[in-house]
Formats: sequence, structure tokens, C-alpha cells
Amino acid sequence: MKVLIDPIAGKSAQIIETLMASEDMVDDPALQFKLRLCIEEVVENIVNYAYENGNGYVEVGTEIKGDNLYITFRDSGIQFNPLAKDDPDITLSAEDREIGGLGIFLCKQMMDDISYEYKDGCNNLTMIKKIG
Amino acid sequence: MNVTINQEENKFNVVLEGRLDTTNADQFQKDIEPLMTGEKPDITLDCTAMEYTSSQGLRMFLMLQKSVNSRGGSMVMTNMNPQVKEVFDITGFSNIIKII
Repeated sequence: MKVLIDPIAGKSAQIIETLMASEDMVDDPALQFKLRLCIEEVVENIVNYAYENGNGYVEVGTEIKGDNLYITFRDSGIQFNPLAKDDPDITLSAEDREIGGLGIFLCKQMMDDISYEYKDGCNNLTMIKKIG
Repeated sequence: MNVTINQEENKFNVVLEGRLDTTNADQFQKDIEPLMTGEKPDITLDCTAMEYTSSQGLRMFLMLQKSVNSRGGSMVMTNMNPQVKEVFDITGFSNIIKII
């Protein structure tokens, strides 16, 4: 599946549900929970930060290759590698923990692979989850 | 996310139902405002019917825990489903929020 959403302003929920309704989506509720969580984290980042006022597009896709589900995001917004940020220190006390920075960390932990590439003026993020 | 708060003096029994995500995190923040004031609050969050939380939700729980700590209170989350519990485990929130 490949779907283009343009413009993306205010369309987080629609983008998330589009991916969750893909014919490639798994049936297992526990796995769906993880995928939804990771999708939401990425979609929120793109909708809120990729473009000024969300005035741009995102192309989202799903594909099954072998035992793996690939979920892809492409936007032509501000160049931003979400994976470059340091992971939060999860051993700190509540007082020392910062509010935020958890979304991409959760994706890294829950997916089997996550990769980023800036190519032809576009941010490309690919998440892979073993489903077989 | 549906939030029901029963208060008796400094004791709060809070029932959380549904999904906490980016679409309702702002509303949730408003809904839990009664928990953000008063000395030595004793808060129980019943999570039996909480189906889902994203990192937006985690932010809210961290904010609440910090507020409770600063007021000399205590907070506990009960009966979390395994998927939600895993989110708290992975992020280390299980170490800073009491979960039973």
C-alpha cells in the first residue's frame, strides 16, 4: 500500500488509521498495539514538525517482504533525522527525567529495525517489524 | 480517554478508561487538574480499562508523578494491561511510578 496525504495539517488520526487499515496490517492485537504506538510517534513528529503549519505532504506505505512488515514515511519537509537524538536515560528518578524524548526511543525498542535516509530532498523513515 | 475522579479529602480514586493518545492528551491534562493541587495527595489510578497509551500519555503521567512528589504525596497505578505495562517497562517508567 502507498498513500499520499497532502496537506497533512490536522490529519494525524487519519494518517494513523490509514496505515492501521492497510491490507498488510497484522491481526494479532498485541502486535497491532506496538505498531500503532510506533506509527503514532512517527506521524506526530511529521505532522507537527516537518512543515511550517503542516503545509506539505507525507507518503506512507506498508509492504510485506518475507517475514517482515515494512512501514515507510516520506516527506519533503525540514531535514530531520529522528534517530540521531540521544536515547533518554531511563535510570533517572522522576525529578531528573525530562518530559519528552520518549516517542522515537519507544520505536527503537519496539521495532526490529528503524532506519532514516535523506534523499532527493526528502526524509525517508523505514520501520521493520518481524511478523512471521 | 474517560477520567472519573472520586475524592475524599486528600484521597483520590481515579478510573481511567479508553485510549490515551495525541488526540486527547490535552483534554486528559485538563481532566486531571484536580489531582495537581493540594498537599500530600494519595492517588490511585485504576488502569483496568485503560487500553492504550502513547508517549503523550507517558508525559502526562510523569508530569503528575513529579507534581505528587513535590507535594509530599503518593501515587499508584493499578491493574495495567500487559501491553501498557510493557510501555512503562521499556521507558523505565516502572521504576519511577509505582505500579501494582
